[in-house]
Amino acid sequence: MKIICSRERLMEAISIVQKAVATRSTLPVLDGILIEAGDGVKLTGYDLETGIECNIEADVPDAGSIVINARMFGDIIRKLPEDVVTIESADNFAVRIECGSAHFSIKGQSAEDYPKIPVVEDAEQLKMKQHLLKDMIRQTIFAVSTDESRPTLNGVFFSSTDKTVEMVSIDGFRLALRRNEFEEDLPKMSFIVPGKALAEVGRILVSTQDETIEIYPSRNHIMFNTGRVKLVARLIQGEYMNYRSILPQTAETTITISPAAMMAAVERASLVISSEDRRYPVRLTTDDDDILTVSASTEIGTLREEINVSSQGSKIDIDFNPRYFLDALKVIDEDEIAIVFNGNMGPCVLKPLDSDEFAYLVLPLRR
Amino acid sequence: MNRVILLVDMNAFFISCETSRDQSLVGIPAAVAGDPGKRTGIILAANYEARARNLKTAMTVAQAIRLCPELRLVKPDHDFYKQKSKQLMQLLNEFSPIVEPNSIDEAWIDLSGCEKIYSTPVQAAELIMTDINKRLGIPCSIGISSNKFLAKMAAEMRKPQGITELWPEQIASLLWPLPVNNMYGIGSKTADKLTAIGIKTIGDLAAVKPKLLSDMFGRSGLQLYNHANGIDPETVTMPSENEVKSIGKSVTLAKDANSPDEVRTILIKLADEIARSARKHKKQGSVIRITIKYSDFSITTRQCKINPTASGNDIFQHAYQLMTCHWKTNSSVRLVGITLANFSEEIKNRQLTLFDFDKCQLHGMHSDKHKLIQTNSLHGADDRRRLEETIDAIKQKHGKSIITRGSLLENKECSKN
Repeated sequence: MKIICSRERLMEAISIVQKAVATRSTLPVLDGILIEAGDGVKLTGYDLETGIECNIEADVPDAGSIVINARMFGDIIRKLPEDVVTIESADNFAVRIECGSAHFSIKGQSAEDYPKIPVVEDAEQLKMKQHLLKDMIRQTIFAVSTDESRPTLNGVFFSSTDKTVEMVSIDGFRLALRRNEFEEDLPKMSFIVPGKALAEVGRILVSTQDETIEIYPSRNHIMFNTGRVKLVARLIQGEYMNYRSILPQTAETTITISPAAMMAAVERASLVISSEDRRYPVRLTTDDDDILTVSASTEIGTLREEINVSSQGSKIDIDFNPRYFLDALKVIDEDEIAIVFNGNMGPCVLKPLDSDEFAYLVLPLRR
Repeated sequence: MNRVILLVDMNAFFISCETSRDQSLVGIPAAVAGDPGKRTGIILAANYEARARNLKTAMTVAQAIRLCPELRLVKPDHDFYKQKSKQLMQLLNEFSPIVEPNSIDEAWIDLSGCEKIYSTPVQAAELIMTDINKRLGIPCSIGISSNKFLAKMAAEMRKPQGITELWPEQIASLLWPLPVNNMYGIGSKTADKLTAIGIKTIGDLAAVKPKLLSDMFGRSGLQLYNHANGIDPETVTMPSENEVKSIGKSVTLAKDANSPDEVRTILIKLADEIARSARKHKKQGSVIRITIKYSDFSITTRQCKINPTASGNDIFQHAYQLMTCHWKTNSSVRLVGITLANFSEEIKNRQLTLFDFDKCQLHGMHSDKHKLIQTNSLHGADDRRRLEETIDAIKQKHGKSIITRGSLLENKECSKN
């Protein structure tokens, strides 16, 4: 195998596929990146759960394939002096990497031992703008559970019907729901993508307006394809929690507030709550119709801050984990939102004023 | 600064406790025995009058009565002994803040730096002994030295009611002539191995090449050598609640089991005990680990991460789930165990979870599908937590066996009614 390519492009591709390279695998070949050279060059990382392939443009004087230890490969390419890299493998898996006046010679491994990424047969596909999916991932992934005892909650539930796509994550203490309306009809499908894999998808996606991504779910696996990069992940099997029944339809108290102002106040409250000691809540109270008081009181000190809001319904006095509020507030792009409370033991929901594009449910702390 | 360490050892602790509340036991041979009524029990502690008649701990009651027909036998009351032990530790704390209990009836106490308060260590020991006698009504022996090991050896030398000093310069004359099985830390098996290679006295042990001992016993061999030479760098450390890293319990089954269902009630019991212990330490664990020992003695351990808990129900459910997943089919199992680990402080302000709410609401089985989760429908974890706290309080007051789960009752008499 012999390839000649741009150092920058190669480095970019390595850092993308490296995310799927196994770190502590019993199969040594999985520590490596598979390089396959034919029409172009394709790099692959695969940890048996998630596989990522990335294509780069390159001259291929000699087709072939080789596996190179991912960390070493990345370190070498990063330190190369010039922009054109030549990689050449010999029969005994020896690899020469040359760039300017630097000549590396390292040991590779046979590509034949590298496991195949499952092929996702082209089933029904869903096509959407990359920036939209990137946003939807960012706006839901933070509430994915890491509690291994409820495996279905370790992923984001993805469903499409008619013209709507919904992504939902639940960790038991909170729920994040993001909904998007499309102009065209969509195939009906639903599946649970592991949080870790979806986070990688989010990193691969670009924020520019026009780029699209194709999503192919099959029974056991799902493929995300941007053309340049393909990511295949094992789906989480099982029935997802019926989240619709969790979202309250009534409101004892509704306040309208600027998420930015609220976020700033909760962040200030967090300053008196030490990061190791998360026992302390942030307290939200309303005495007056137009004032929300955010306060925290710990061994370190206290904060009290008043925010102008408009409020309807009964007065509130509820404790929350500040982190859960911050995680939701951070991903809200609106200037004004509604926060609905249902007593000091009931769920609280952050949502848009006049749409159902998102809903962030947070459960209070019991006093 | 030279260290001054005392070991306070209560003499014939259980029977001394009994004597302290029943003066009729004074001066006559008496013993606390497992089950005196049935004559099948064993002697747990004999007083010195009984020991004079050759009565020994662990002897059967029948044997003991043959040796001493007028022996008075008393049923054990472990709660009372625990209470006495607690009083002892508190009393010792008045003499020095550094007290390390070694067992229910003995403790090390570090008096280093207290020279200004007590003119000599012996005088301090006398004060402690008188105080214990006066306030607890129990005799004790006290060993004095510059480290924990020597203090323990000194306390063993004069019983009952003895105060013995054993300083490093006295080792050759006082410690070395003793037979090796008298040494603290040497059990009968170790003693047999040592005598087999010609080591009969502690002095012999002190003269041996340390390499020989470390080859024979590993790291503890080196400790034996050091102890025999009067060296013990261990400091007197106070037990701290924070030391609890994990709480584990296991049971060797009376009969091998073939499926997790057969050990269900045992797991419930283990989970409850672990949970209670965790609540007592005000801890919540976020890792559940199970141990399965098969009849061929191979061991499987598996663990999973969970949300911090100190609830028996949570622990049982996760442990049972792990057991079900990892129990090799068609294998018989001789031991099962559960461990709760990764502790964090108990959280007073408890984060509500979606699983606290009514299950049927979560699964949309209500006629009104979009019904709001009512605050008064808060079932599950919250109620369970209050229930468990109440049960803890009842057990604390009336004893561990006063209240139990229906599923753990052996004869379900209630159903006959």
